Amino acid sequence: MTAVEERAITPSTGGGATTVASLAKDWAIRSPKHIAFREKSFGIWQEFSWADAWELIELSAHALLSLGVEVGDRVTIHSEDRPEWIIVDLATVAVRATTVGLYPTNPAAEVEYTLIDSGSVIHIAEDQEQVDKVFDCDPEKTSNVRSIVYLEPRGFANFDDERLIFWEKFLDLGREHREKNPGAVTERMASAQPDDVMTLVYTSGTTGPPKGAMLTNQNSLYAIEKVVSEVAAYPDGKAPNTKDQILTYLPLCHVAERIFSTWTMLAGGPTLNFAESIETVADNLREVQPTLFFAVPRIWERLHAGVMIRGADSSWFKARWLGVGLKAADFIGKAKVANGGNHTVASRVLHAIFYPILFRALQERVGLRHCRRASSGAAPIAPEVLQFFMGIGIEVYELYGMTENSAVATVNYPGRLKLGTVGEPYEDIGLRLDEETGEIQTKHPGVFAGYWGKPEKTAETFTDDGWLKTGDVGEWVDGTHVKIVDRMKDIIITSGGKNISPSEIENTLKASPFIKEAMVIGDGRKYLTALIAIELDVAGAWALRRNISYTTYRDLTEKPEIIELVQKSVDETNEKFARVEGIKKFAMIPKELDHEDGELTATQKLKRSAMLELFSDLVESMY
Amino acid sequence: MRGRPKLFTSYEADAAILPTSLQRWMVGGFVALLFLMPFDIPFLTGPVPRAFPDSWPILGGRFTILGSIPILQDGIPFVRFLGDSSWLRPMTEVFILAIAALGLNLLAGFAGQVSLGHAFFMGAGACTAAVMGGELGGTRWGWGLPIWIWLPASGIVAAAIGIAVGPAAVRLRGLYLAILTLGLVFIGIHLSRVFPQIAGDTEAGRRFPEFDIKLWREETPLINISSEDTVTGFFGLNTFEVSTEQKTYLFALVMVVIMTFLAKNIGRSRTGRAFQAIRDRDIAAEVMGVNEVKYKLIAFGISSFFAGIAGAMAASFLGTIAGNQWSLALSVEFIAILLIGGAGTTSGVLMGTFFVIILPELVEQVTEWLAERESGITGAIADLLLTDGGGNDFGPISEPSVAPGWALNVFDWNVVIFGVLIVVFLIFEPLGLFGIWIRVRNYWKGWPFSY
Repeated sequence: MTAVEERAITPSTGGGATTVASLAKDWAIRSPKHIAFREKSFGIWQEFSWADAWELIELSAHALLSLGVEVGDRVTIHSEDRPEWIIVDLATVAVRATTVGLYPTNPAAEVEYTLIDSGSVIHIAEDQEQVDKVFDCDPEKTSNVRSIVYLEPRGFANFDDERLIFWEKFLDLGREHREKNPGAVTERMASAQPDDVMTLVYTSGTTGPPKGAMLTNQNSLYAIEKVVSEVAAYPDGKAPNTKDQILTYLPLCHVAERIFSTWTMLAGGPTLNFAESIETVADNLREVQPTLFFAVPRIWERLHAGVMIRGADSSWFKARWLGVGLKAADFIGKAKVANGGNHTVASRVLHAIFYPILFRALQERVGLRHCRRASSGAAPIAPEVLQFFMGIGIEVYELYGMTENSAVATVNYPGRLKLGTVGEPYEDIGLRLDEETGEIQTKHPGVFAGYWGKPEKTAETFTDDGWLKTGDVGEWVDGTHVKIVDRMKDIIITSGGKNISPSEIENTLKASPFIKEAMVIGDGRKYLTALIAIELDVAGAWALRRNISYTTYRDLTEKPEIIELVQKSVDETNEKFARVEGIKKFAMIPKELDHEDGELTATQKLKRSAMLELFSDLVESMY
Repeated sequence: MRGRPKLFTSYEADAAILPTSLQRWMVGGFVALLFLMPFDIPFLTGPVPRAFPDSWPILGGRFTILGSIPILQDGIPFVRFLGDSSWLRPMTEVFILAIAALGLNLLAGFAGQVSLGHAFFMGAGACTAAVMGGELGGTRWGWGLPIWIWLPASGIVAAAIGIAVGPAAVRLRGLYLAILTLGLVFIGIHLSRVFPQIAGDTEAGRRFPEFDIKLWREETPLINISSEDTVTGFFGLNTFEVSTEQKTYLFALVMVVIMTFLAKNIGRSRTGRAFQAIRDRDIAAEVMGVNEVKYKLIAFGISSFFAGIAGAMAASFLGTIAGNQWSLALSVEFIAILLIGGAGTTSGVLMGTFFVIILPELVEQVTEWLAERESGITGAIADLLLTDGGGNDFGPISEPSVAPGWALNVFDWNVVIFGVLIVVFLIFEPLGLFGIWIRVRNYWKGWPFSY
């Protein structure tokens, strides 16, 4: 890789507030030839330099102006991750409007809700499938949407809705507008204010309809300062820089991916590589070998399961070799966990032996050989998974935050890592635990401006003295680290009056590669039970190897061998917990959980109340 | 991108011959080794010393591990060819035949057109070389042109003949094509008898031009391959003799490197992809817009070009070749090279040529070497394997001097070994040596998993 030429420049704010858009323009001036994005198409990672990227951003911004976007208007984006997502996002901020992201999996009803709730004026839809969802909406209620820009032309031959604009046409509009009003975008940028709402992030809404959290320019800069640029959080002491590679694959409408992709790129100049889809993440990881990697627990679990499954499938010698290596990894992992993430002498020696003969290849296969900082967040993760990765030489730092505080809360620092905790609060931020309930509360410049159009909900989220209530119950570990007990409303109180946090038990269950989802039940009951969903790929492969034939998912869940397998995982989990926390019975969920069927949120979290209702007969059968 | 061999940002990178720096280093090192091979490297020739030289620090005077193995005290037959001229000729032969095999690979391996006429095109190249570069006057035709004219010309003439017979070949496929090309071989042998002015005497052939590189009919060639010079080493550190054989070897090596690069590039170009499309299904290829006639003619032309060049070089290398040497047996040898090496793969063809030429040499040399052993372990092995005509001798290999009896001699054994090898490869590894290499590579590529 050639060294990136960086020029000293004056910030391109033009007198306005610093925004993500002005940071992007800075990069286009500072190092126009540096690669901003890579997108895989036709088998090749096509590259966009910063000069290319800014040209597109500027054209899109002009196009938005020509479509009459005013300060504070909302622009909705409904697409998988791709360069256009970020281009439109930054263009929207450049014209002082507000970006609203939708999950690609959002069904028509949720699209309608978001379009109405946000009052969007321009809707960007990826392809015909997403545009159809808009056409399914009630046209009266969504009359606020003036234009629909689509990115993929395929399948649009028979559409004659006048709101539709093809992406290339959209850019042409921008070109025309730029010729007539060359300074219009620069002018808008120069009038930017720190408290402009730059984005609405709709919370996934495990209860009730989603709420749009308003994040301002100031919030985003604070998140960049704390979450992205804090050098102490990087094991090699270097903030993100132009040599770094990032794989962009989680939905960009989620605040986590926004921080770890877009905002990290804007802060330090890493190149974003867009994964082809969520299914190809494992392959894309191996190709890109990112240096900075953030993943949700589900991805870490899948990577871990991938190693285990393929290890079990490998030939005799390789399987033995791997077996010995994983024992060593287990030892190293335990030693490091006990030592704050640092090596002991013994673990260092073992690592030196096994790195050249196994761990290096394993890291390469996982796709994290060049990774200099890996992190996990957005949901609780099983410590067993983290320990495994630590054992093979990939330290995964768990961190914690939420949309409403721009994800600025706690992080595990290298060398002071404590497994099972989400780390220490960032320096100089306000974070406290409520004395009565143990709820985590934060107060810092990253805290959001409120829910869009829901002042009463906003008021509920703040304490009387202005602290943000996160809704998570935590406790201090050794006075420095925070451990998340559970979501406040998820805590189970058994009929015996015992307080139990289900997520810990569920995560231990999910550490088994066969179990995809687990939901512990027991609120107001005599004992605990669990609903368990199996991982179809893994369990299916396992069954095939043992000549157990099955037809459907449901059929597989009813095989006695599979039930026995799950029973073993449950027994192992029960050993790790106190007696009252043991799972007495469990039931297999007979279908694959899905966002569209209302069992999961867009971020693949369980909707507990909906689950209890949907599978009430299963639950009742266990009591 | 460094350390990311799978991240292709352009089609050029995706189709690179040597995509990673490790591969570049390994292939570069291998070619450099080939260039060094004809020269004497003192510590790799002759018997392995039992002790390190006294002048060496620390190790001086100590026993060497390799030197204490009895068989190695007699000398290592395998590495002795460094600087040993008896191994240089077969190696040169490998290079020259590899060029022809690469040509046939483009036709048969890539475009799927089985041809038994490859020897004919080699003969055509050789005859062109003889006429253009041969001696003037007498009953033989010869214009005495320099090598840089006759060598390319022999390729071009062969290619022209290939394209000329192409239209007939294009109408046929499979077995019928094989029979047609087989006919070419017999026509060629017949023509060589009819035109002694070109091909020389039926039995003895004629003298072929030498490799000397002259700028234009100069008395003193630019590079005089046919004489033995003294070369002054770098910085006057060393002077050594460079023999005719060494120079011929180097010339052939340069040629094979150039032609391999050419073949590899044709294979991955639009033309090469068209060949493969025709091979896999000619009708489907035409549906996709591949002009079948055009590309089959191109395949014949290119393949004949390679054969012509190789034929001219082989004739020049051997000095004289009779017209009936360009026979079916030679054509079949190329088919064997393709099958053993791996049809459709460039590196496989190179491996195959090496294997097919060197294996008989090796068997011969090892047998000869064994025959000289009298005592010790090697002597015992020799007693066990060799029949020298004496009383209680039951070895399966008879020495060439022994009258034919129940034991086969070395040459017969070579034929047997080849027959068995081709059968084994066809059954167990249709991709040939290349297939074995791929398996080994994939085993390590997948490490520590199986896929």
